[in-house]
Amino acid sequence: MVLCFAFFYVPIIITMIFSFNSSKSFANFTGFSLRWYESLINDSEILSAVGVSVSVAVIATVVSTILGTITAIGLSKSRKILKEWVLNINNIPIMSPDIVTAIGLMILFTSVKLEKGYFTMLLAHICFCTPYVITSVYPKVRSVDVNIANAAMDLGATPFQALTKVIVPMIKPGIYAGMLLAFTMSIDDFVISYFVSGNGVENISMIVYNATKRINPTINALSTVVIMTIFVVVFAVKIAPVIAKQQWFRRLSVKIPLAVKRVFLFASCAAVVFSLIQFGGIYRGGTTKTLKVYNAGEYIDESLLELFEEQFDCKVIYETFDSNESMYTKVMSGEKYDIIIPSDYMIERLAKEDFLQPVDKSLLDNFDNVIPAILNQPFDPENQYSIPYFWGNVGILYDSTVVRESDLEAGWEILRNPDYKDNIYMYDSERDSFMIALKALGYSLNTTDKSELDRAYEWLSEQKRLVNPVYVGDDVIDNMVSGYKAMAVVYSGDAAYIMSENENMRFYAPECGTNLWIDGMVITKDCKNTALAHDWIDFMLEDENAAVNTEMVGYSSPVEAVYTEISQTVYEGNEAYVPRQDNPKDEYFRYQDPEIKKYSAELWTKVKTQ
Amino acid sequence: MKYFKNLVKPYVVWSFVIILVPIFMIFLYSITNSGNSLINIQFTLDNFAKFADPLYVGVFVKSLELGVITVGVCLVLGYVMAYLISKCKERTQGFLILLVTIPMWINMIIRIYAWKSIFEPLGLMYTDFAVMVGQICEFLPFMIIPIHTSLSKMDKSLVEASYDLGANPVQTFFKITFKLSIPGVLNGIIMVFLLSISTFMIPRILGGGDYMLVGNLIENQFISVGDWNFGSAVSLVLAVIMLFSIRWMKKIDKADN
Repeated sequence: MVLCFAFFYVPIIITMIFSFNSSKSFANFTGFSLRWYESLINDSEILSAVGVSVSVAVIATVVSTILGTITAIGLSKSRKILKEWVLNINNIPIMSPDIVTAIGLMILFTSVKLEKGYFTMLLAHICFCTPYVITSVYPKVRSVDVNIANAAMDLGATPFQALTKVIVPMIKPGIYAGMLLAFTMSIDDFVISYFVSGNGVENISMIVYNATKRINPTINALSTVVIMTIFVVVFAVKIAPVIAKQQWFRRLSVKIPLAVKRVFLFASCAAVVFSLIQFGGIYRGGTTKTLKVYNAGEYIDESLLELFEEQFDCKVIYETFDSNESMYTKVMSGEKYDIIIPSDYMIERLAKEDFLQPVDKSLLDNFDNVIPAILNQPFDPENQYSIPYFWGNVGILYDSTVVRESDLEAGWEILRNPDYKDNIYMYDSERDSFMIALKALGYSLNTTDKSELDRAYEWLSEQKRLVNPVYVGDDVIDNMVSGYKAMAVVYSGDAAYIMSENENMRFYAPECGTNLWIDGMVITKDCKNTALAHDWIDFMLEDENAAVNTEMVGYSSPVEAVYTEISQTVYEGNEAYVPRQDNPKDEYFRYQDPEIKKYSAELWTKVKTQ
Repeated sequence: MKYFKNLVKPYVVWSFVIILVPIFMIFLYSITNSGNSLINIQFTLDNFAKFADPLYVGVFVKSLELGVITVGVCLVLGYVMAYLISKCKERTQGFLILLVTIPMWINMIIRIYAWKSIFEPLGLMYTDFAVMVGQICEFLPFMIIPIHTSLSKMDKSLVEASYDLGANPVQTFFKITFKLSIPGVLNGIIMVFLLSISTFMIPRILGGGDYMLVGNLIENQFISVGDWNFGSAVSLVLAVIMLFSIRWMKKIDKADN
């Protein structure tokens, strides 16, 4: 039993230890520091997410426990056919994968034009929590003797009294179990919350998920605080009464249960108040100017948000996504933003599907400062819709102590060199992997020729046989900082960061061509206050702000002066910060025809599961 | 007792709106092929025909295998834990159950990353073992709690009676204790099985991108490929499999009684 508990708590202890780590890594402990606690206190995004998580969990638990309990009691007295139907329907949310429930609810809320935010998140949580309560209470109710309630009523109890004084106490264990389950499910939920929430309402899971690009140790600090709080409360509730039994404590012992009750009462009141504030927040939104920005996770220096609010006397609602595709899914579902920061091919897609409005460059004083070489690219000629935010390319990051320089001459083929078997990270993205294969074979990365894609598929599946690479997401960043493998395919901006943390690492973009990319700021058709949106874009291009941003994120700045300066100071000698601009074989991604997209996605699944 | 019959009504309405309607929409997606627009609907069964591809059959088989193993290990560990806990004093029991639950209040993704930082130096990352450990740690509480619930409500005098009638501890355990805890066991099995088969975060982080389970497949279709129609079809097939396995387990339950 002790072993089992150890098993549960090992990950938590690790989390706690790393919350005192002085560096950002979640793999190497570099020294003791309290900096993550400091940043926790100052991080209003995380703090408000805690509020959302807890208040949603508390309210959803209370509501679903009441709803679930009365339903379970009612069910036991219903006709068989109704009973079976309700129980089967009840199983649906438990049985279907979260993502299905999430998409289903998202479609529902959109189709009834319910504004997404705190309220929809709460509804969704009640939706998936109640079935758990019913399943744990129902068997208990079934085992209760029907006659007892009847007897109570014969003795003059009202049905309500019979319910609360007789039946409920008998099924208490079931109710507690259901409550515990509901609370647990609610507080840990990510997928459903992610899809049904909006308007800047985020819970902890959403923040954690979107921050996986660079694990934010502030979250570790938060977990430590949470676990300590829980233990203090548990101590107060469970241990204290035991001590209270001792002689000298006896006087206090009466007061303790009362105090505990008060604590709970206080907690639920706080939750309700918080949720009211949330509701209020939505409606208050009309009075001051607001700007809704949707950006990738960990892709901005957040102090800039506050600075912008101050300078332009407005409120920025800032939300994050983890990939262009999930951003697109959310936008398609009817969520409204003013500014989005997608990548090139996605900009083209959004423009094609009429989601964007043209940017008026005469309103941008700083537009002339942008590096000319990254303007007027094929995905958005004339930069009608987008203004560059960050840019770079894709290449191979390698450990110079392991990889022989001469092997690099093979270009992308080095990724199939059997000498590096089990020593390579590939990027788990079908578009990027096919890019590598297509470029290695000398084709265009935007090919629409299925036979070329077939050849690329063979290249990739042979690669899997030859070197057995690991396909990873953004965790490659932390892994390479720790130097776990010899080589990895990474974005130049991430490479710049990794190289600044691990001096053995070098970056190399093969001569046979690679993918150039630009993430750009776009203004959506939904944006009403276009002046403010232009102010935002101009603000991000201002020298000072751009410098703060590029230094924090590590990606190459689009502002020429800043780019030149940072590449000579902070990132001096860091070849990843200065992506090459002169190789004619380098290409930008273009919007892919859905047919081709589906075809290559299928091939990619095949590669991975072979 | 008639009074209580009406108590079920609010939930009937609620579940219709918030469970059935969305599921119907998913169903609609699975039998059409017009992508995200519902304007020009074309009905088709192509999305289901795709399952003939050994590729997707393989994904399902692998998920089921992993699900079954996870359930097996969780059942053994979970039962032992629940049994030991139920032997403790009442007050301690509540405390121990709370201890089992608390880890789940810390964000799952964080805990998975913590496992990652343990496995990485040991060279265990991106293996079946890593995914299994992650899943078991994540889902074991869902096995312990229902089993403990049914063990704790068990009438202890039955065990004593069994001893009095000359049964040895092993016999008593299998004939009395285990039999009476079967509802909890089944509940636990169903929960863990459902969770482990539809998860996608754990295999993605601990198993690497080529660790493709049904949950990943569905998530992939909805998010990165954008093929909601096929994604809906996969989830429906999964739901049907789940439904049948639950039916089957309920039958065992009944046969035992």
